Amino acid sequence: MAGLVLLTLRELRAKKVVLGLFLVATLVWVLLASALQLDVVDGSLAGARLFGQDAEFGDAVDPETGEPVAPEVPFGAETVLEGLVFAAEAFVAGAAYWVGILLALFATGGLVASLLERGQVDLLLSKPLSRGQILGGRLLGVGAMMLALLVYLLGAVWLVMSLKTGVWNPRFLLAIGVVFAMFAVIYSVVTVVSVWTESAALGFIATLAVLFASLVLAIPELSMQVRAPWRQLIEGLRVVIPQFPGVGVRIVPQLATGGAVASWAPLLASLLFGLALYAGAFALFRRKDF
Amino acid sequence: MRWGVTRAQVGRREARTHRLAVPHAVSTSGLAKTYAGPLGRNAVHALRPLDLAVEEGEIFGLLGPNGAGKTTLVKLLLGLARPTEGEAALFGRSIREPEARRPVGFLPENHRFPPFLTARETLRLYARLAGVPEAERAARASTLLDRVRLVDAADRRVKTFSKGMMQRLGLAQALMSRPRLVFLDEPTDGVDPVGRREIRDLLLELRAGGTTLFLNSHLLSEIERVCTRVAILNEGRLVREGTVEALTTTERLWRLRSTPLPPDLLAGLDGAVTAEPGAEDPSGLARYRLAVPDRPALNALLDRLRTAHVEVEAVEPLRQSLEDLFVEVVQDTGTSTPS
Repeated sequence: MAGLVLLTLRELRAKKVVLGLFLVATLVWVLLASALQLDVVDGSLAGARLFGQDAEFGDAVDPETGEPVAPEVPFGAETVLEGLVFAAEAFVAGAAYWVGILLALFATGGLVASLLERGQVDLLLSKPLSRGQILGGRLLGVGAMMLALLVYLLGAVWLVMSLKTGVWNPRFLLAIGVVFAMFAVIYSVVTVVSVWTESAALGFIATLAVLFASLVLAIPELSMQVRAPWRQLIEGLRVVIPQFPGVGVRIVPQLATGGAVASWAPLLASLLFGLALYAGAFALFRRKDF
Repeated sequence: MRWGVTRAQVGRREARTHRLAVPHAVSTSGLAKTYAGPLGRNAVHALRPLDLAVEEGEIFGLLGPNGAGKTTLVKLLLGLARPTEGEAALFGRSIREPEARRPVGFLPENHRFPPFLTARETLRLYARLAGVPEAERAARASTLLDRVRLVDAADRRVKTFSKGMMQRLGLAQALMSRPRLVFLDEPTDGVDPVGRREIRDLLLELRAGGTTLFLNSHLLSEIERVCTRVAILNEGRLVREGTVEALTTTERLWRLRSTPLPPDLLAGLDGAVTAEPGAEDPSGLARYRLAVPDRPALNALLDRLRTAHVEVEAVEPLRQSLEDLFVEVVQDTGTSTPS
């Protein structure tokens, strides 16, 4: 199976778009590292400069009394400095979730269908490997690339922010796991459709349809605007379809800002959906004739 | 005889059991494949129940017209498709187990290697997938690249290769794990005449080393030259199987070279002897075709000729080419052209 993981990684390396993703990740943390200049005195932020612009802190006064007042701190942080770190990390984690997953999907979505191309799959199936190992090897290769990309982007951003500010927010690293898990969930749609139809294009279309459906289903008023049988259907779909917006709004920002996650249910429900689809994909692949 | 079962059925069953029990290189017992149509209608019987055994060390040729079931059989044996019924084994191990394919090499007809790999990387990668120990891969790849005349292109990307080069690389790939059994689907397709001869020599060299070869080719002359045994499939059924020698020998026909037969004698033989057209040679001898049911009848006929003072120079059994046989068998059992 290691050979198949290696083959997948070589195939991804040959795709320029994957190199492009790593390049973008590099640009993000290099820009962040060079643009953010902080003056920290005795553990407190005395001044900050972002892209050369000064940010004012700590000199706000009450207009009536003339007394200095504490500045507003975002994300429930204890200090302005911590708030700044949380804001930057939330921005990067959100970008990785909402944009990064889609870009990674475009970069890797065709790999399952290409595995099944005549001439390639014949050679692989004639080796002493089970079908589970063949599909599993390909998925592990894709997963390894995505995990490496996330660790590289979010890990580097976390290190840069922590080293520059002295604010260490280890919960932010959990966002790597959550973004990766949701990528895997979304990728299960590509996998099952590609195994079923052997078409990369249909895999993409089905995945985008599922993402669109999850966005529509996330509208709270939706079920109020339809009648009885449709309302139950919508409620059912809300449980079944991966809760992409729910995880993106209620879990990723909380982790990035060090806050408590109120409910892990959207992630767990999405994971169940992914597991079911992967099980289906493996069962289909085992029974398939080439 | 068992209750309700004929002696012939018992015999067939025992033959099947024996075929699977003795570790032939390839053995099938009632192996069949039916592709179901939409809603279970218009099912296609790609392969009817097939009993076949290929001995270790043979070069076995598989022939048949388009749609005869040749590719289906190879796909079933290599796990690319699942049998609808029946069993098959490679060296006694069921084809349902991936391990059955460990001693096997395969060159598919239209193979496709990852275009971004070099020839050397390709061989090493597929050797790894075949379970070849890492320490052996590099040396084995170099040896085979040399053997298939790709040393100069060893570090070139596969996407720059011609069809012939791809075919030679495919053959090297099939041999990387030192397989005991190699399936070759159109191995000389796209290869120039020199390369074709080299591949043929390589196949004979492999056979000399004890490797079993299962060859699927539409080049009947090629099959005739290298194969020890052939099977002809037509419409999913095995219609003829045997050694090339046995299949191409026409048992009831002999060629006679002798002094010319007197016309009245020739007329009195009721068509058992016919003159071959333009058959008289400068030495004054003539050629005839003898059609008799068996060897005793042949000897009786020769005795009769000698009694009539005909001097016999030579008698030899007539052989068809494999192509003649193929066309005859396919026409007798149904369809079209070889594939």
